[in-house]
Amino acid sequence: MTTRFFYIAGMTALAATLLPLSDRLRAQERSLTVVDVPSSRSTPRTAGGRPDLSGYWKGTRDTKPGGNIGKDLPGWKLPLTPAGEAALQHNLTATVDPEALCIIGGIPRHNASGLPFEIVQGANKIAFLYWYSYFRLIPIDPNRKHADDPDPSFFGEELGRWEGDTLVIDSIGFKDEKVWIDENANPHSDALHVVERWTRPDADHIHVEALIEDPKFYTTPFTYSRTWVLGQPDEELQEYSCSENNVNRDHLGFGPGPIRPDGTRGYSDPAPLPPPVPRK
Amino acid sequence: MKSVLVFGAIAIVLTAGSRLLAHHSFAAQYDATKVIRLVGTLTKIEWTNPHTYFYVDVKDDSGRVVQWGLEGASPSSLSRRGFKRGDLKIGDTIIVEGYRAKDGSNLADARRVTLPDGRIISGASTGDGGPQ
Repeated sequence: MTTRFFYIAGMTALAATLLPLSDRLRAQERSLTVVDVPSSRSTPRTAGGRPDLSGYWKGTRDTKPGGNIGKDLPGWKLPLTPAGEAALQHNLTATVDPEALCIIGGIPRHNASGLPFEIVQGANKIAFLYWYSYFRLIPIDPNRKHADDPDPSFFGEELGRWEGDTLVIDSIGFKDEKVWIDENANPHSDALHVVERWTRPDADHIHVEALIEDPKFYTTPFTYSRTWVLGQPDEELQEYSCSENNVNRDHLGFGPGPIRPDGTRGYSDPAPLPPPVPRK
Repeated sequence: MKSVLVFGAIAIVLTAGSRLLAHHSFAAQYDATKVIRLVGTLTKIEWTNPHTYFYVDVKDDSGRVVQWGLEGASPSSLSRRGFKRGDLKIGDTIIVEGYRAKDGSNLADARRVTLPDGRIISGASTGDGGPQ
């Protein structure tokens, strides 16, 4: 039997290598993240002369650790206050991932997600469309001011303005319950303030520099930056009804499970699957 | 669950490096030490979001039929790998290797699915942090 297993494994690997190169490239194109490559195509612009951020944007494999809002910090160590540490422990031991319960992830979590997203830009508004069929619609108006006491929401009260070729999105008014700031169950409070600076340096890349402030839970502001790559012309979001059949709701444990030394969620040493069973 | 010989071509779908719809953390629901292989008869197919589910009747070692639920990636993810809804029908036999739920229920994460036509497809939601 062992010999047969090796035979099958070998045939399987051979089948993969025998696929035409074009098919292998197509498989990569259709995956949800891509290998980053330089672009020689210039930034598209709107009729008004602004960069056009519209497109279907896919993460790159250089974004490590994925899903961790502390990605750019030494050791991915977030500057938690005592209250923030308590909130983290609560999230780890007493809460199910809100995203797994089909609650909107919000900002900045969506910027740390492994999932592609789509931007549709108008003259005075810009829409960010996400898998799970979530969206945020942001006014672009330098004269708009934040409300004194905005109703808390998962994406916050978001105001957009242009600073040269940079779209700045300033957001306050966030929820403080049923939220994780990233996939690793890190917390944020209702004092969260996020300033995103979006640029499109060429046709094939979009970039964000985000400043994250939350004096209740973090001792100092910190930054999160990331680049995405433009998808193929016919790639776009599809319907994804998170609550259609969420069997997981009844089986999920608290927290994300173990966090690996590389800063991502998951087991460090999972047991391997057995070889495939030969089929009659 | 007897191992049997294979006939016909085996194809593998390239998913290396792809990140798919990660609705939840693998480690929040499944035990990476509890590997399971199930050979079962399909009784129900749910081609739904956020995950697909395949319900199978499996004979245990004593001959008793036990129902299992098997969680797969989302429909769009499986479709991207060439696994379409029409590839399965009630009564088909599928082989699944994966991991059991931590809560001890008869639910497993189908990381690898062998379809009735012999194709071996990854059922994994790659972005969930689970084994690839």
